[in-house]
Amino acid sequence: MVTEQHDRSLEVVDIPINMGPQHPSTHGVFRMVLVLDGEVCKDVIPHIGYMHRGGEKLMEAMDFRQGIGYCDRTEYLAQFSAELGYVMAVERLMELEIPDRAEYIRVILTELNRLSSHFMFMGAFGIDAGVFATSFTYAFPQREYIQELFEEVTGDRLMYAYFRVGGLAWEVTDNFVQRVHEVLVHTRQGLRDLDELLTKNEIFMVRCQGIGAFTADQAIAYGLSGPMLRASGVPWDLRKDDPYSVYDRFTFEIPVGNHGDVYDRYLVRLEEMRQSVNIIEQALEQLPAEGPIVAEKLPRRLRTPPGEVYSKVEAPRGEWGVYLVSKGGDKPYRLKMRSPSFCNLSALREMCIGQFMADAVMILGSMDIVLCDVDR
Amino acid sequence: MMLLAAPAINIDNAFLSGILGLIAFTLVMTVGVMYATWYERKIVARMQYRLGPTRTGPFGLLQPIADTFKLLTKEDLRPATADFIAFEAAVFAIFIPALMVFVAVPFTADWYISAIPMSLLYILAVSGLSFIGFLLAGWGSDNKYALLGGMRAAAQLISYEIPMILALVAVVMVTSTLDVYQMILYQDTVPLIVWQPLAFGIFLIASVAEVERPPFDIPTGESEVAGGVFIEYSGIRWSMFQLSSYVNMYAFALLGAFVFLGGWEWPFGTDIGWGYQLLLTMVKMSFFIFFYLLIRATVPRLRVDQLMSYAWKVLIPLSLYQIVTNGFVIVYDLPDVAFLLFSGLGVAALVYSAAFIVKRGEPRRPLTMVPVRATAKAAPPAPAVAADVVVEGAAT
Amino acid sequence: MIGILRSLTQVVRVIGRKPVTIQYPEVHREIPNRDRAFPILLWDAPIDEPYCTGCHACERACPVECMTVVMKDNPKHATGESKRRKIIDEFWIDYGRCMRCNICVEVCNFEAIGMNNTWAGHELSRYDRKELVMDLDMLMSQSKAGKVDPGLRA
Ligand code: SF4
Ligand code: SF4
Repeated sequence: MVTEQHDRSLEVVDIPINMGPQHPSTHGVFRMVLVLDGEVCKDVIPHIGYMHRGGEKLMEAMDFRQGIGYCDRTEYLAQFSAELGYVMAVERLMELEIPDRAEYIRVILTELNRLSSHFMFMGAFGIDAGVFATSFTYAFPQREYIQELFEEVTGDRLMYAYFRVGGLAWEVTDNFVQRVHEVLVHTRQGLRDLDELLTKNEIFMVRCQGIGAFTADQAIAYGLSGPMLRASGVPWDLRKDDPYSVYDRFTFEIPVGNHGDVYDRYLVRLEEMRQSVNIIEQALEQLPAEGPIVAEKLPRRLRTPPGEVYSKVEAPRGEWGVYLVSKGGDKPYRLKMRSPSFCNLSALREMCIGQFMADAVMILGSMDIVLCDVDR
Repeated sequence: MMLLAAPAINIDNAFLSGILGLIAFTLVMTVGVMYATWYERKIVARMQYRLGPTRTGPFGLLQPIADTFKLLTKEDLRPATADFIAFEAAVFAIFIPALMVFVAVPFTADWYISAIPMSLLYILAVSGLSFIGFLLAGWGSDNKYALLGGMRAAAQLISYEIPMILALVAVVMVTSTLDVYQMILYQDTVPLIVWQPLAFGIFLIASVAEVERPPFDIPTGESEVAGGVFIEYSGIRWSMFQLSSYVNMYAFALLGAFVFLGGWEWPFGTDIGWGYQLLLTMVKMSFFIFFYLLIRATVPRLRVDQLMSYAWKVLIPLSLYQIVTNGFVIVYDLPDVAFLLFSGLGVAALVYSAAFIVKRGEPRRPLTMVPVRATAKAAPPAPAVAADVVVEGAAT
Repeated sequence: MIGILRSLTQVVRVIGRKPVTIQYPEVHREIPNRDRAFPILLWDAPIDEPYCTGCHACERACPVECMTVVMKDNPKHATGESKRRKIIDEFWIDYGRCMRCNICVEVCNFEAIGMNNTWAGHELSRYDRKELVMDLDMLMSQSKAGKVDPGLRA
């Protein structure tokens, strides 16, 4: 490495080290080049785009029903939130009234989806911290119960395509309410397991606390949203600040962190799961026993009036928005997804610089990114 | 089994019998390690709602054999840019010291490969050699992850050697012998863990670090350096690394069982026959092994600087405290209970020591809960009227 | 250390619980009635011909364009056995491309196509991608043999 022969003193160089796209802890095909001084990151250069499929462009060639499948495939851990954002955009353009029962079922499923997504986070985050897959196996059996419920209702384990413009694709199963209650029992058990395993574990605490801290101002400047933003102390939750669907009918609490570090993000997500259980229980109580599940007077072929609309939902990772321009007709003229993973990931460099290499892994894990959502 | 015992072979040449014993022992150890992996996978699986291996034979008992065949028949890969000598030498530099430890270990009262008068010193000296292998592997692989892992391994092994040796020095002060055999005999009434709980705790923690098992597995941390030092190794070489890591684990478990838990001596005395002695040793050893497995499944990995500060700021001062108090008790000829008293105080400090490495600073504030009140009323139950127009896409 | 002890007790507690593993190839998890595997064509057993009339509706609606439909005149219509004037002649679905979105099922006016809800619709691994292109015989064989679930939503 020493090219100049006359300089015989020891030279100190930073090592650029390539983490990903095939690395156990980059959560998909994400690549970052860490410039390391010993163990400390001096620079982080993220590379994205391995999964880019042009989903937004593809959806411009799809009619409004076909597009739903692509929402699932974009945000594949919070499919219902993604579907809801897209469907709501079209509904707003068409000015449709959604029946109450459909709205409640949407809320229940979306909140269950938040649970399953956060379970995924808990599992993966534990592995990032170095717990030998135990957090994963505590989270996944419980997540599996949620997944099974989704499968019973929608017919698919991953790509539900269940929310449709104007309502739902078909009725839920007869024993839906009882099944949700059953699932919630398992969810609580999973929450207890994970809480006992991680929250108060000193080594976990010491690995998380004070790492990747962001102040509220920084978080807003980077456009963070979701648990990342709330952990930094900004009580911003679209379910509270811009209630969509029937979220204004529930009483719940929004956890807000005071330190903005990795540990707070973990705590916020854990608490959010408890609140989701709370919301689901209220929704189950209020759920009309019967009633239509699709809007009245829906045309056979969906056409929107010309116009543009931005609809946003509070997905597990943050604000998931769909900006839709229509020039009339049955296809969007232009569609843009605002994905929380992408915006949150933009803060990676700022958070990692000056931290240890092992912390960079934790910080990336705490963002809970979905690479398909980043690259679209 | 008795074949292994040097006296039983009746070879006059001590060197030859030692070699023979070592070879036979290596084979036994290899099989033992194979089944240690099986045991580990089964136990850890049950800690994680899983079953572990089930497909190969009853309870997956043939899994280790299948694994061995798989590893042996794997293509032998070496990076083109690797430093050939370092890359190859590393395997042996780790493997041989791991096995050499057992030369001096008295498995039962009359079964040992070689009776070394200062066996404890020998065991510590030999087991301390393996860091050379890690450095060689890290350098020879020509991979940055491996290099990072190798450097981490060297730093970690050297740091944790010190508290471990100091803890054992404290024990040596009590027993006033460096021979593991004599140490076992010393514990015929009370095992040393009673008099020296602090030394035991330090030894337990430091031995986990020495065998590089979680939570001290930063040289091979899967989620950070993706395999670390072993990243470029595959097939037979990789399995030799695994083998030596498990053999090391056995070595420290045995040492712990002998030095702190009374080995084959306590509580039944020397005269119960080698079979029972072996069983007793194994039971005590498996306590350590179970502990290693348990924390592997439970505890997150420490960061490299926290790892170091734990060794230097917590374990070493505490082990020095143990030595000083032992000296105090011995010099002033206090009763044995004084050992327990001083050591117990130290254990209290050790239990709270986890808090030492937690970053001090502003106290943590809990989450603030922002309440959201329902602003709209839930709609009254809707009348049961089906929608007259069905959306395209709604199933009938 | 207290927190670590809590974690340890939690882990030990789980040893006593029942594992969740399902021994997959021997034991198949029960899949729900609504399960959507891949689309298959249905067989009208009384008349002994497929329901599908080859109307191309599904082909046009498929988002990934993985279907190919060819229709023909129905010979049984001439003899009066069947009311279907046209009948399917050839039908291909590329299972490698299908994204299992259910749209073809929703648009079919003849209830001629349904999403397979048996394990046969899931265990479809092949060594060659080309073998995933299913022709009419393969698409209908399951229904013809009466092996579809009665709850199949068509
Ligand atoms: S399920 Fe969807 S993708 Fe598959 S064939 Fe039918 S319409 Fe096409
Ligand atoms: S399956 Fe249905 S929609 Fe498709 S061609 Fe046949 S009849 Fe038409």
